[in-house]
Amino acid sequence: MSAAAIADMPQAAGDIAVDCSSLTKSYEGVPVLRDISARFLRGTVNVLAGENGAGKSTLFKIISGQVTPDSGHLSLFGEGIRRFDARHAQGLGVSIIPQELAPIPDMKVWQNLMIGREKSGFGLLRRRQMIEEAAAMMEGVGLSVDPNLPMKRLNVATTQMIEILKATSRQAKIILMDEPTSSLSGREVEQLFRVIRRLRADGVCILYTSHRMEEIEAISDTVAIMRDGAIIRHAPTSTLTERAIIADMVGREITELFPDRQILESDKPVLEVSNLAVKGYKSSVSFTVKAGEILGLGGLVGAGRSEMLEAIYGMRKATGSLRLDGRDLPLGHMKESIKCGIAMVPEDRKISGILTSLSIIDNVTLPHLNSFVTPGGLLENGKRRTQALDVLKRTKVAYATLGQKVGHLSGGNQQKVALARWLVTGTPRLLILDEPTRGIDVGARSELYRLINDLAAQGVAVLLASSDMPELINLSHRVLVIREGAIMGELKKNELEQEAILRLAMGRSSNGKQ
Amino acid sequence: MASNSITPAVANAAEPKGLPSPRQIGRFALRYALVIILAVFLVTLAISNHTFLTFSNMNVILIQVAANALLATGATFVILTGGIDLSVGSIVGLSGVVGALFAQDDGVLTCTEAVILGIAAGTAIGAFNGALVAFARVPPFVATLGNMTVASGLAFVASDGQPISGLSDQFLALSGKVFGLSIPVAVMIVVVVLAWIILARTKFGMHIYAVGGNPQAARVAGVSLRSNRFLVYTISGFLAGVAGVILAARATAGIATNGTGYELNAIAAAVIGGISLAGGRGSIIGTVFGFLIIGVLDNGLNIINVSPFYQLIVKGLIIIGAVFVDSVMNRGDD
Repeated sequence: MSAAAIADMPQAAGDIAVDCSSLTKSYEGVPVLRDISARFLRGTVNVLAGENGAGKSTLFKIISGQVTPDSGHLSLFGEGIRRFDARHAQGLGVSIIPQELAPIPDMKVWQNLMIGREKSGFGLLRRRQMIEEAAAMMEGVGLSVDPNLPMKRLNVATTQMIEILKATSRQAKIILMDEPTSSLSGREVEQLFRVIRRLRADGVCILYTSHRMEEIEAISDTVAIMRDGAIIRHAPTSTLTERAIIADMVGREITELFPDRQILESDKPVLEVSNLAVKGYKSSVSFTVKAGEILGLGGLVGAGRSEMLEAIYGMRKATGSLRLDGRDLPLGHMKESIKCGIAMVPEDRKISGILTSLSIIDNVTLPHLNSFVTPGGLLENGKRRTQALDVLKRTKVAYATLGQKVGHLSGGNQQKVALARWLVTGTPRLLILDEPTRGIDVGARSELYRLINDLAAQGVAVLLASSDMPELINLSHRVLVIREGAIMGELKKNELEQEAILRLAMGRSSNGKQ
Repeated sequence: MASNSITPAVANAAEPKGLPSPRQIGRFALRYALVIILAVFLVTLAISNHTFLTFSNMNVILIQVAANALLATGATFVILTGGIDLSVGSIVGLSGVVGALFAQDDGVLTCTEAVILGIAAGTAIGAFNGALVAFARVPPFVATLGNMTVASGLAFVASDGQPISGLSDQFLALSGKVFGLSIPVAVMIVVVVLAWIILARTKFGMHIYAVGGNPQAARVAGVSLRSNRFLVYTISGFLAGVAGVILAARATAGIATNGTGYELNAIAAAVIGGISLAGGRGSIIGTVFGFLIIGVLDNGLNIINVSPFYQLIVKGLIIIGAVFVDSVMNRGDD
C-alpha cells in the first residue's frame, strides 16, 4: 500500500503525536539524556539538531520502544507508554529508520520491503500479492528496481531508499529518521523530500536528524537543538538562523567551519597516476597530486571514486602505473603502499576504517606495530602509550582512557582515530580520504578540516573524495569530477562552484553548454 | 558501466545477453555443482557395480539416510538463524533410550505413548537449548555443546549404560513399512516437504531468514528474535527425538551412544547443501542434496569396497569443497 493511501488522514493536523516529559537516561552512570521535555505535532517535520553524542539516537530509541528511560514519561497520541517494547511502539505507528542501514542482504528486495507485514492465506504466504505490493510501493516514489533482485546487488543509495520506503509504508504515524541523507546524492535527497512532504500532508509526525544545514531549512517545520543530552531550544525553523543553530549545537560560535587554504608553494609531484583503469570500469584516469595539495574528487554516489582510491591504495585490482615521489609503485600491494607512506581513511569506517571492538591504543598503533617491537619480539607498550597519547592529543580525540573500545566513541571521534592512526610514526606522503565527514557533527568536522589542512601545510599530498559540496569546494585546491570511472573535467580553485561540479558529475560540460 | 541512469540502482549491471561465455558456463557449473556431483557419483557407481543401481539398494540408501535427513533438516532451521546445534547426536541417544524404556514388551504403556515420550525428551532438550540461546543469550555453540553432554549423561543414567531391549512388536514395527514405503523414509519425506513449505512459503520461514540475515533489521521490522530462535532449537530437538525413536526401532534397542557424532553429519549435510553458517542463506533443497550426497557416498564407497578410513577422507574433502564453491559463488561479481 502506498503511503498516500493511508486511511487515517489528519483529522486535526496539530494534535500532539509525541509528548516527552522529563525523560532521563544514563548508561553506566553516564547521563545521555537529561530531563527531555518536548512535544511534536502530527503533520510536522521536526529536525533534531545536535552533535554526535548529544543524545538524539537515544531519544529515538526510547520513542521507538527499544530502550526504557530511567525516569520521565512518554505519551504517543495521548497514550502514556508504560512498557517500552519495540513491537508495542510499532503497533502504535512508530517507525524508525536507523542510521546504520539495516537491509537483509541475502533476501530479495520485496522480502526486505514486506518483512514484518507479510500477507498470508491459510498459513501460506501470498507471494505474488506481496511482490506486487512491493513494486507498487517503489513505483510510488519513482524508484524502478526489480523486486526480485537480491538486496545485496543494490548500491548504497538505493538500499537507503528501500529502507526509508520500508519504514514509511508501515502505516506509520510517527517516523524517526536518523540521518537519512548521509549516503544520498542530491537527486535522491530530493526524492526523499518528496516522500517526506507527502507523509507530512498525510498527518505523519516526522522526527529527523541531520547534519546538513541546507536540509534543515528545506524540509523542517521546527528545530529541536540538543546538546549534552538536553534539548536546549525547540522553535519553529523560520525563527532560527543557521548561525544560531550551529552556535547552540556546539555551545560556542564556530566562526569558520573551513580553515584558510594554504597557498601551494611546491610544484613537486607526490603521486603521478597514469592510465589507471580500475577493474569493472572502461575508462582510465591520469592525474598528479603535488606536495601540500588537496585534490578533491567530486561526483555522484556510485561514480567510481571509492574504487579509484582503493586501487591507488592497493586494495583493488587495476591496470596502469603509479609513481610516488618519482618511484614506481607496484599496483595491488597494500603493504608496499603503506610502507611507501600512503595512508587511507576509507569510506565506511565501521567496515574498514577502524576495529570497533579493539581499544583506542590498539587501533592507533595497529599499522605500525613493527616499530614497537623489541629485539625479543615483544611489544613495547610504554612507547606505544606515549606515541598514542601524543597523536590523540594532536588530533583532539575526546576519550576516557586509552583502553576504551573505539566502538564506544562518537562518530566524529571514531573518524579522528581512523585518521590519527596514520600520524603515529611521522606524517604520510599521501593521505587518501574517502567521505571523511560522513555522519559527523559540525564541531568534529571543523576540527577534522583543520587537521587535514595542517597536514597539507606540512607537505602531505591529500586526495579527498566527498559528496559534501561545501567541503569539496572549501577544502580543495583543485577538483576532478568523476563519472563512471572517468575524469569528466578539472576545476581550478577559482572555478569551484557547486553547479559546475554537479553539471560535470551528471555528464554535462562545466559551463552549462551541452 | 552500460547503464545510462545517473545512479544505476544495481551496483553491477548485468552482462549483456548472448552466447554464454566460458565464465558463465563456469558459474553455471558451480551453481549446480551439487547436482552434478551427485549425478557423477550415481553414474560412476552404477557403471562400476551392478548391485548399486537396484531398487532395493536405493531403498537401503534412503533408509540409511532417513535419520540424518531429519537431523539435517533441524540443522537447517537452526543454521539459517545463524545458530548451530551440536546436541542432536546425544538427543538421538536419549530419545531412543526413553522411547525404549516405555516401549517394553510388558505393555504398561502403549507404543504411541512410548513414541510420544521419546520424542518429548528430545523436544525438551531442544527447548532448553532454545531457552538458553534466546532468553539467556548463551552463545549457541556453548549452549548446545553443554546440552550435548547433558543429554548424553541423561541417556546413560536412564539406561544405566546398558542397551534397552525387549521392545514391543508394535514399537519395532516402526522400522517396517507403510503403503509399501519404509516408515523412516515416509517420515523423512513428510518432514522435508513440510520444512520446505515452512521455510519457503510461510511467515515463520521468512522470519527465520530475516533473523539470520540481519537480526537488527529483523527486530526493527517487528520480528521477534527470541521466539524465532527458541522455536528453531525446539524444532531441531523434536526432529532429533523422532530420529532417535526411529533408530531405536531399527536397532531393536535403545542405546545411549546410538547417535554419537551424528550432529556433525547433519551439519555437514546442511553445509554441503549451501546453508551459510553465517545465517540467512540457503534452502532446504540444498540440504536434501547434501544428505543424499553423503548417503550415496557412504553406500557407494562401501559397495565398491573402499576402506572406511578412506571414506572419511573423501567425505571431509567434499565438505570443504562444497563450502569453497559456496564462497566462490558469493564472492560478488568482480
